[in-house]
Order: sequence, then structure tokens, then C-alpha cells
Amino acid sequence: METYITLALAIVTAPLFPGIILKVKAFFAGKQGPPLFIKYFTVMKLLRKGSVYSTSTSFVFKLGPTVSFTTALIVLLFFPFAGSMPLFSFHGDVIVLFYIMGIGRFFTVIAALDTASPFEGMGAAREVFFSTIAEVTIFTILILFYRLNGSLSFGEYFTGETHISPMNASGALLLFVIVALFMVLLTENSRVPVDDPATHLELTMIHEVMILDHSGPDLALIELGSFYKLFFYSAFITHIICPFTFASGAVNGLIFFAILTCIYIAIGLTESIMARFKMDLVPQFILTSFALVFFAAILTMGVLQ
Amino acid sequence: MIEFIFILPLATGLTALALPATLGRILLLLTALLHIQLTVMSWLGKLTPTFPSYFSASPEGLLILMVTSFIFVCISIYSFSYMKETEMENKPIFICCMLLFLGTMSMVTLSDHPIVLWIAIEATTLVSAPLIFIHRSKEALEATWKYVLICSVGIALALLGYFFVTLAMDLGNINAPMTFTSLNTVALELDPLWLKVGFIFVVIGFGTKMGLAPMHTWLPDAHSQAPSPASALLSGALLNCAFLGIYKTHVLMSVAGLGDFSGNILIGFGLVSMLVGAIFIIGQPDYKRMLAYSSIKNMGIIAFGVGIGGFALYGAFLHIIHHSLLKSSLFLSAGNILLGFGTKQVQRIGGIIRHLPKTFVSFFAGFIGISGLPPFGMFISEVIIIFGAFQKHRYICVALFLLALTLVGAGICRIFMSMSYGEATDRLQIEEKALRLLPSYALLFASVALCVWMPDIVYTIILDSIKIIGGTTHG
Amino acid sequence: MINVTESILVITLLSVLLSLGSTRLIALVKIMALQGIMVSLTPLFLRGDDSLGSGAIIFFQIMILIKGLLIPSLLYMAVKKIAIKREIEPIIGYHASILVGLVILIISVFITSHLRLSLPAGHDMVLITAITTMAAGFFLMMARSKAITQVIGYLMLENGIYLIGTALTKHSHTLYVVEFGVLLDLLVGVMIMGIILHNINSAFDDADTTLLRRLKD
Repeated sequence: METYITLALAIVTAPLFPGIILKVKAFFAGKQGPPLFIKYFTVMKLLRKGSVYSTSTSFVFKLGPTVSFTTALIVLLFFPFAGSMPLFSFHGDVIVLFYIMGIGRFFTVIAALDTASPFEGMGAAREVFFSTIAEVTIFTILILFYRLNGSLSFGEYFTGETHISPMNASGALLLFVIVALFMVLLTENSRVPVDDPATHLELTMIHEVMILDHSGPDLALIELGSFYKLFFYSAFITHIICPFTFASGAVNGLIFFAILTCIYIAIGLTESIMARFKMDLVPQFILTSFALVFFAAILTMGVLQ
Repeated sequence: MIEFIFILPLATGLTALALPATLGRILLLLTALLHIQLTVMSWLGKLTPTFPSYFSASPEGLLILMVTSFIFVCISIYSFSYMKETEMENKPIFICCMLLFLGTMSMVTLSDHPIVLWIAIEATTLVSAPLIFIHRSKEALEATWKYVLICSVGIALALLGYFFVTLAMDLGNINAPMTFTSLNTVALELDPLWLKVGFIFVVIGFGTKMGLAPMHTWLPDAHSQAPSPASALLSGALLNCAFLGIYKTHVLMSVAGLGDFSGNILIGFGLVSMLVGAIFIIGQPDYKRMLAYSSIKNMGIIAFGVGIGGFALYGAFLHIIHHSLLKSSLFLSAGNILLGFGTKQVQRIGGIIRHLPKTFVSFFAGFIGISGLPPFGMFISEVIIIFGAFQKHRYICVALFLLALTLVGAGICRIFMSMSYGEATDRLQIEEKALRLLPSYALLFASVALCVWMPDIVYTIILDSIKIIGGTTHG
Repeated sequence: MINVTESILVITLLSVLLSLGSTRLIALVKIMALQGIMVSLTPLFLRGDDSLGSGAIIFFQIMILIKGLLIPSLLYMAVKKIAIKREIEPIIGYHASILVGLVILIISVFITSHLRLSLPAGHDMVLITAITTMAAGFFLMMARSKAITQVIGYLMLENGIYLIGTALTKHSHTLYVVEFGVLLDLLVGVMIMGIILHNINSAFDDADTTLLRRLKD
């Protein structure tokens, strides 16, 4: 029961949190900012519209948004929100999930290429390049977690007997993971300083440029998909910061959403105080995140045997 | 209150900052005279340490203290005249740093706690840095930067070395205070592995400061760019202080039964330094750099002698004394030449014998001495070291030693000849002065005098310094 | 509860890694401040509360003040005064530097696990951190050409050595007076280096050590 409630909550509230980021950024800019529910309105508005397709595109272009939305949604089904049992779980599901997200990205990219627009091709190339490096970080994190608790599934990471928690021995290493994962989050979800979702110049875009040709419900699906993806990464970090092992499900849920909000605020803060990197500094940024996790992985091998 | 020996110059040094340059020069001279008086008192055993856990009057320390103090008196007389004749932007700073330099060097000689020793040696680097770039030329800045950075990093490694020695104490479960005196009594209980590691770091660290090759790169730059009185101090006194750090650790190693290990390391560094010094002296176009490389060579000889041990150790200690006296005398003479001709290039100088006849005498005598020829003390010390090496059957080392000496002799001779005779391309700018000649004469005279008649007290103090690790004063 | 010592050390390692990858000098100075504070805190948590006298507490306060505030602000002033913002052309690139950082870490883990020292529990990590910090400091000095970065490298080296001092030795030998002397040397050293830096900058119009090529044989 708890599982369904938390999952439903997650699916429903995911578009709320990007609103928080916008609020934080507006606060730093000294502005009122859009309402908290802005993202819901946007999605509603888009869903009401019709889609326009270029005559030069094929069915691949129409497939892109649907697949990317679905993959993002599937990932949520496997995640143990607020310490409740995930809907599905099997040994090794993390690997499958990260590749499912890969499929989503693949279809976004291929849809972008289908338009034959030079800008979109450029964006696709960048997106693929950066996420390839980010993948190294993610899989190093998985290796590290495997060493820490010997499992390969989100369910076991956070709900099992030997769940991952900063209170454990070698918990300090999770500090590395948190920082690295936050950097990956910024990269994968095209946030500042890697990418700027609010930019206006196609030349400097990474993710946004790929979806320029999508409109109406298609765009809504893409937007929703990206909200879920961001929600997933934030929830991942939340669980590493605090294992949800309190007795009552309601307490778990409250704390979960509290920390989650903090992470979104942190994203907003980062976006407010940092400028976008030059394109050639991005790989270095991601590489740093990899180095951090690698540090942690080495330390588990050397010190904690 | 033996600590007064280094507190006095530190205090007067800071006072000098507030005084005008004319008063400051008098203060410099006064402090130097007071300092040598205190040093003599400490030799006579009239001064006892107030903080025995940090400071003590070890024989080797006292010996180097006396050398430093004597040289400083001569140099302060020289500076008295030198400062009047050169343009210096900030004379009080110069005086202050000279005095602080003396103070920190005295502190090195008196410290008994390894880390206090380290602090003092690092402090010598810091207070001598302004001396080098007092003229603020681009070259001087570069030299200072290299000096401060290379020496600081090197000395930081020595600190690491001393931490390893502390670790050796922990592993040996020793609860004695951490001073060289008390460590020597419990040396056998120290963990040998970490003591060795510690020694290697200490040699690399203080060896950087002492100018052992291949860590010597800062030395020629700093010595050639510093004003001559400061060069004389750097070469004649500072290098000895760094050597003292290595020597005290070497004594600890020897007492712990690892004397062969540390000795061989010192011999290795010594030979490399001698050869490097010799190679760079040949064809050196700058006479102050040439003197600096000669210092590297001589530090190599000292390390070599200490490494060989036995009779050669006695030679090494004699070499320290004579090298300091001769080299500072030479740097002072070189200062006169630099003032006179305004250039450090050997090619542009000629006919010293005609233009600066009195300087020529001290310059000539200095060269005879530094080449290791009689009647100066370096002849005796080098012969003793060779003799000691023969006794220990180190024939290959002796061969390399002699090779280096020959190369140096040839290189020095060529430079000296072309400077003394030949034709000058530049005109003489500043005449020589009695105040700038007397100090070099005095230093040379001291070197000769010590050969002819060595006072008993000097003899005993050298014997006391070396007998703990098996040094002897007779073959 | 969370292991505080380990967290501090992990933050120190983090600062080492970030310093290898950071392009902006101001950011580097801030990282050094963080590292200084972390390094000065380590012995406090390593030894527990029982052995802390009032002298020790004052000493640690002074230490945090010097390492975390005074030295970084000196560096900050130097950076501001010589008006250089970033290292444009490092001798070894930033990507390579980060990878070197990883290699250094692997080596220090290797060294630590092969030393077979009878270290008290939890001190392994200190040793690893110390060796990494030292080596990274050395690397920074060699891989960057700006004079100020070299000073920062020197500071990192010192931090590493201090960590080794606290990690390896029982603290009964060294006295606070002595440690204070070491600290004072460090402070004055950075001050002197800052002055020389300033002079180099005004003489050469840039504080870049690649310009210092006048003296050679």
C-alpha cells in the first residue's frame, strides 16, 4: 500500500519541484518569479495544443517523446521512494534501469537527428558526448555500492538489511558520492553550469536544442519525462544522505520530501551563483565527478578491505 | 642564559628597523662585537641553557657558532663601508635582516630539539631572502624566488624526516624527551627502518639548504645575486648551519648503529656535489657564480669527509672552519671588485693587480687557499680527508675526489689569471677602502694562524664534536 | 553516528582533488582555506577529548585562525593585487592533473597498505590523505607556472606533512610551543613569498615563473 502511495505522490509531485528551482532563482534575482505550479500549467497548456510535424520527418520523430517519457516513468517504478518497497525489484535492476534511461536518450537523439536540422545534430552530439562521460561516473558509483553492500538493485540499496547509509563504517565516503552524483545530476538534467535550460541561443544549447521541433503533447511528454528524470536523481541523492528507516511511513515520507526540497533548492542555488561553463570545461567537470567516486572506490578497496 | 646569544641579535635587528641607517650601521657593529663576546663566554662554559629541553651548547654547535660569529664581525665591518658606497633602497631592512640572519643562525647552532632546529633553519631562509633581493633587479628577484621556494620545499621534507624519527621513537616505545642529547642515549632502541627513512629525508631537506648536488640549483643564483656581504654570510655561515642539521642526525644514526648507511649516503652526495661544482666552475663566465660553485664543491668535501668518518671526520671539521674563513674573505674581495668594476663578468675585468692592488693581495691569497694550496688551512684539511679515506680503503672515492680537486684548481686558475692580469674593458668606478680590505685580510690571517697554531680549546672542541661517532684527530 | 574524523579527511581529499582541477585562482585560495581548517581540525578528533588541555584548545584555535583565515587572506590579497584570475596555460593540463590525482591516490593507498605499520584504528585513512596531499602539492608546484599556484602547492605540501605528523606520532613528544614555531615559520614564509611575488609582478608585468629564465649556466 505504502508503495503505491509514495509512487503516486512521486508521479504527481514531480512537476512541482522544478517550480521550486525557479522560485529560488527568482529570489536571488530579486524577482517575484513564476507561481510554484508553473510546470503543471505548462504541461496542461501543451497537452491542449495540437502537434505540428515537419514533412521531412519520419515516424522516428514521433516515437522520440513517447519513448523518453516512458523510460523515465519506468525508472520510477523501481525506486524505493521514502524507504518503501519499490513496485518492482530484481537483482541487477540498477544496470537495466540506467540502460533504459539510455534508451530514452537514444530516442531523443535519434528524433533530433531525424529532423536533419544542423543545430539539433550538434546538440545531439554534445548530449551524447557528455552523458557518455557521466555514465562512467554512474557505473563507478554502482561498483562502489556493490562493494559497500553487495547488491545491485535500488530496493536492496536502500531497504535491505545492509542498506547504504552515512552512519555505517566508511559512511564518510558517501560524501564523495553525494558530491559526484550532484554533479552528474546537473549534467544529465541539463542544468547550469553544464547547460542552461533557459538559454535563447541555439549554438550554446545542449539538450534544449534537440527538442526545438517538438510541439504540443509531444513537448509535454518530453517535459514530463525530464521532470521525472530530475526527480529520480534527486531522490537517489536524498536516499544516500538519509536512509529512511523510521518506523512510520508518514514520517519517512515527510523527511523524504523535506530533503528532496533541499536538494532542489541546492540546484536553484547552484544555478543562481554559478555561471555556465565554457563548452570545453564541461568534460573536466564531469571528469571531476568521476575522479571523486573513483577516489571513494579506491578507498573502499585499500582501507576497508 | 645561553639563549641570549640569539635573542640579542634578534632584538637589535628589530630595533634597527626603527633607526636611521647611520645609527643602524653602528648598531650592526656593536651587536657583532657583543655577539662574539657572548660566544667566547659560552665557549668558556659561563653560559648555561635556561630551556634545556630546546637548547643546549653542543660542541659542534659551539664550533660553528664561533665561526659564524667571527665571520659576522668581519662582515659587519665591511658592511659599514659597503653600505655607504652602494645605493640601497632600504638600508634599515638590510641591517635588520643581517642581524636577524645572525640571530637565526645562532639559534640553529644552539638548538637541541630537532624541530626547533628545523624552525631555526627555515627562519634563516626567510630572513635572508630580503637580503638577496635588496637591489631589486630582475635577476635578484628570480634568485630570491628560487631560493625561497626551493629551500622551503626542501626544508619541509626535513620536517617530514624528523616526523619519521618521532615515529621511530614511538615504535621503540621510548618516552625520553625529544632532544638530540637524550635521543643519543636511547638511540639503539629506535626503530631502524624509520630512522633510515627519516635520515634520507633530512639529508635531502637540509642538503638542499646546504647546497648538495643535485638539490643545489638555487645556490649559484642566490650567491651571485646577493650583495657581497650577504653572499659572504650565506656561503661562510649559512651552509654550515644546514650542515649542522645533517651532522646531528648523522650522529644519531651512528649511535644507533646505522653509521655505515648514513655515511654512504653522505659520501654519495658529497662526491656528486664535488663533481658538479668542479664541472660548472670550468668555463664559468661570472666570478661570483664561480665562487658559489666552489662552495658547492666544498660542501661536498665536507659531506664526503663526514661520511668517511674516523680521521677524515677531523679533516671535515677543519674544512668547515677554513672554508668559511676563506670563502667569506673571497666574497668580500669579490665585492670590492664588483664595486670597482661594476660587473660580474670575468671577461670584462682585467688588471686587478694594477687597479686594485690591495684587493689583489687578498684575492690572490684567497684563491691560493681555496685551491687547496699551503699555507692555508684547506690544504691540511683536504690532505687529512684523503688520508682518512685511504685508511678506510675507499680508493675509488679518493680518485674521484682528486679528479674534482684538479678540475677545480684548473678552472679557478684560469679565471683568476684573466681577472688579475690582462686588460680591463671597463673603467674603475670606486676605489678600494681600508675598511673593506681589513676584514678579508683578517679572515685570511685567521686561516693561516689556525694552521700554524691551533689553540687547545679549539682542538678539544673539535675532538668533542667527533669522538661520539668514532672520529679521531690522529691517523 | 557519522564518523567525524573520516568525514574531515574525506573533505580534505576532496579539496585536494578540486585544487588539481580548479582553473580559477580565487577558487583555489578558497579551497586552500577549507583544507587548512580541515587539516587543523584533524588532530582534535583523532585524539578524542580526554587529552585536551586548555593550552591545546588555544593552540588549535590559533592554528585554525592562521591556516584557515590568515594565510588564505594573504593569498587572496596577493591574487587581487597581481590581478590574475586564472591559470591560462598550465604546464600540465587540467584533465591530466585530475587523472594524476587519481594515480597519486592509488599509490598512496598502495603505500599505506604495504607499510604494515601498527597504526591505531582509523589512522590508515589519515596516512592516505597525508601522502596524497603531499604528493598533490608537489605535483601542483611542478605542473603550474604561475608563482602563486606554486605557493599554494607548497602550502599543500606542508599540510600533508602536518597530517603525517599527527597521524604517525603520539603527541607526547612534540610540544605546542614547537608546533607553534613551525606554524609561525609557515606564516612568515607565505608573507615573504607574497612580497617577492608582488615584486616579480611589478618587475616582469606578470607573476609567471616561466619568465624567470635569466639565471642559468
